[in-house]
Amino acid sequence: MTEVLARLSSRAIAGGLGVLLLIACSSGGGNNQTASSTDVTVWSAWGGNELKAYQDVLKPFESSTGIKVHLTTVRDANQLAINVDAGTSLPDIAPGPSVDKVKAWVEKGTLKSVETALGDKFGDYIANTYPALTTTSGSSDNLYIGIVGGKHYELMVKTQVKGLFWYNKKVFTGTAPKTFDELLAINPSQYGAQKLFCAGLESGGASGWPASDQIDNIIMRQSGDKLYTDWIQGKVKFTDPAIKLGYQTYLKEVSAQNVYGGPNTVLSTAFQRAGKPLFATPPGCLFLEQATFIPSFFKEDYPNLVAGTDFDFFGHPSVNPQYDGNVNGFYDNFAMYNDTPAARKLMQYMATKDAQQIWANDGGTLAAIKSINYTDPVYKRAAEVAGTAKNLLVTAGDFMPTDMQAAFWKSLLNVTRNPSSLDSELSRLDQVQKASYTTS
Amino acid sequence: MDQIITAAVAVVGVPLVLLGYIILGERVIERLPDHLQTWIRPYFWALPAIGFATIFMVYPLIRTVFLSFRNNADTDWVGFNNYVYFFTFPDTLTSLRNSLLWLVFYTLFAVGLGLIIAILLDRVRYESLAKIAIFLPVPISAVAASIIWKFMFDYQPPGSVQTGTLNAALGAFGGQPVAWLVNSTTNNPALIFVGVWSITGFCMVIISASLKSISTEVLEAARMDGANELRIVQLIVTPLLWPTITVVGTTMIINALKTFDIVFVLTSGAYDTDVIATQMFRQLATHHLSRAAAVGVVLFLAIVPLLVVNIRRFQQQEETR
Repeated sequence: MTEVLARLSSRAIAGGLGVLLLIACSSGGGNNQTASSTDVTVWSAWGGNELKAYQDVLKPFESSTGIKVHLTTVRDANQLAINVDAGTSLPDIAPGPSVDKVKAWVEKGTLKSVETALGDKFGDYIANTYPALTTTSGSSDNLYIGIVGGKHYELMVKTQVKGLFWYNKKVFTGTAPKTFDELLAINPSQYGAQKLFCAGLESGGASGWPASDQIDNIIMRQSGDKLYTDWIQGKVKFTDPAIKLGYQTYLKEVSAQNVYGGPNTVLSTAFQRAGKPLFATPPGCLFLEQATFIPSFFKEDYPNLVAGTDFDFFGHPSVNPQYDGNVNGFYDNFAMYNDTPAARKLMQYMATKDAQQIWANDGGTLAAIKSINYTDPVYKRAAEVAGTAKNLLVTAGDFMPTDMQAAFWKSLLNVTRNPSSLDSELSRLDQVQKASYTTS
Repeated sequence: MDQIITAAVAVVGVPLVLLGYIILGERVIERLPDHLQTWIRPYFWALPAIGFATIFMVYPLIRTVFLSFRNNADTDWVGFNNYVYFFTFPDTLTSLRNSLLWLVFYTLFAVGLGLIIAILLDRVRYESLAKIAIFLPVPISAVAASIIWKFMFDYQPPGSVQTGTLNAALGAFGGQPVAWLVNSTTNNPALIFVGVWSITGFCMVIISASLKSISTEVLEAARMDGANELRIVQLIVTPLLWPTITVVGTTMIINALKTFDIVFVLTSGAYDTDVIATQMFRQLATHHLSRAAAVGVVLFLAIVPLLVVNIRRFQQQEETR
C-alpha cells in the first residue's frame, strides 16, 4: 500500500514540478515595446471617479484614431523610478516623476519633451493653458512644472486651486475682503455668527495637513514665491523670521478668539466635518478655508445645499500686495517616456480643448486650459482664481522629505494647542530639517 | 495574473516540494543500515522546520540588526548613528517615555484588576455571568475597540450637544467637556485605559483558572485556624498564584511594549502619544529603513529578557509537574 502511495505521489510531484517549470517559463517574457502607431500604454494613479473621467476622455480618441490605449492604474508613485533604475520597460505615457528626479531623467533622455510630442501644436498649448502652469518666472528651470532648460517635459491636463474661503451666502452678505487684515477685521456677530473662522485639522495619521494648507497660503503671499520654494527645498530655516511670521499669522486664524469652539475643537474635528457650523443655526462661524473639493462634504451634512446659491467662496485675500498672484494649487500632468507615433497623437489629443472639456464635464476638477465651460458654479469661479494666478505654487509639505512633512504637520497641531510653544517647535523643526534633507 | 501564479506556486508548489522531500528522503533512508537510520531520521524530519525558521525568523533578525548599523540606502556603515538618533531626538524620546508609561500602568492595572476581580468573583454566585461581561472586550480586535473608544472620547465645543459618551456624562453633572485625546494630561491615560479595558478580562481568566486549582482544604484549614479572608489572600492565595501572576505580568509587559493599534487608531501619535512601535512604523513609512531597524532592535532587546523569564518559569512549572 505504502509502495503504491509513494509511487503515485512521486509521479504527482514530478507532474507538479513540470507545471511549475512551465509557469516559470511563461511568466518570464512579454512586455515588448515597439514603436507602435496602433497601440499606446499609459499609466496613471487614478481610481474611482477620476479614473472614470479619464476613460471618458480616452473614448473619442480611440474611436476616431483607431489607436488602442492600454491604461494601467499604478498606485505606487515609485514604480516608474524602480523601472527606470532597473532599465525595464516603461509605459509610453505616464505622470512626470517627483521633483527631485526631473532633471536627471531629462539628462538621461528618459523624458521626451512636450515640444517634441506636440510638434506644431505646441504654440497653441502654451497659448491656451494657464500661464502659471507653463511659464517660469525668470529662470529657465521650474522643476515643479517640469521645465528644464526652457523646455517643457510635463503636459498639464488638470489643475486645482486651494486656499479658498467658503461661506454660507445666507449668513455672510458682505463683500469679499481684499486684504487679510480686512478679513480679520470682520465682526462675525454683525452677521449673527459666533466666530470668524471654522477649522478642522483631524485626519488620522495625516492630521495637521489642513493647517499646512492655511500656513502655505499665508507664507507664499506674505514673503513671496522665492522664499516659499526655497523653504520647501530646505534652504530656509523654520526659525527664519519669515516662516515664524507665517506661523504667527496662521495662529490668528485658530486663536480662541477667532475660531469656532477654540483650539480643542479645531484639533478634535475631522476636516470633512469642519464646515458643518457654517450652516448651523445659529451659525458657528463665517468662513472655512479649504480647497475646491470641500462642497462634497458640505452636502454630506446638508444634502439640500446648492453650490452658488447656498454657499460660495472668495480667493485668498492679499497679505502683501507685492506677492499678489501667488496661488496655491496642484496639477495633474502627463509625460512622454517612449516617443512613438501613437504616443504623440495621444499627447496632442490631451492638450486639446475637446479632451479637457470632457474632464471638466465629469466634474471635480479644473482643466489646464483657460477657456473651458463649467456647469458647476464652484469651478466656474475657481477658474477665475486660477486665471489670476501668476505662479501656481505647490503645497509645501507634499514636496518636502516625508519626515519633514510629518514634523511640519505635527508642529502645526502643537502650536494650535499651545501657541506659546512656537519657538521651541520651530527650533525642533530646524533639527528635523537639518537631518532629513541631508540623509535622504 | 502574476500574483495568481505566485499564489498558486506558494499554495500548491511548496507543499508538493515538501512532500517530495519526505517521500524521496524516506526511500533513501530506508536503504541505509539500521543504526544510521535512527541517527539520521530525526535530523531529516526536523530540517524543513529549521529551514523555515531560519529563512523567516533568524535571517530577518540578523538582517535587521545588520541594517540598523547601515545607512538608509544600505551602502555604507554608519556605526551607532541610528541608535544615537533614537536616544537623542526629542520625538523618539517622547515615545520612549510613553512606552515606559504603558509598561508600568498598563501592566499594573491589567494584572492588578485581573487579580482582584478573579478573587472577588470567586466568592459570588453569579461568577460566570460577571466573568463573561469582563471578558467580552478581549475578543474584539484592538482596531475595533479603538474605534468604539474614539466615539466614547468624542469632543464637541462647550455649549453644543456632546456626542461623546464621556463628555455627555460629564455634561450631565454640569462639567465642562474635556478634549480627552488632545489634552496632554488626559491623552496618554486615556489610551492606556483603552488597553487595560480590552485585556483585563484575559488576565482575569488566567488568574481565575489558577485560583480554582488551589485546594479548598488548604483554605478551610486556614479559616479553622482563625485567619480572616484578607490574611488568607495575603498569605496563601497570592503566594500560590505568584507563578501565574509573573507569567501573566511578563506577557502584559511584552504587550505594553508592542502596543501599536490603539495609539495608531486613536491619535496616530499626535500630541506626544507616540510609543516605540508607532515610532518604528513612522520611520518605515517615511522610508528611514535603517532607523526603523534600530528602533526594532531596541524593542527586541527590551523584550528578550522578559521572554527568557517567561520560558524559565514555564520550564520550572513543567519540572514540578
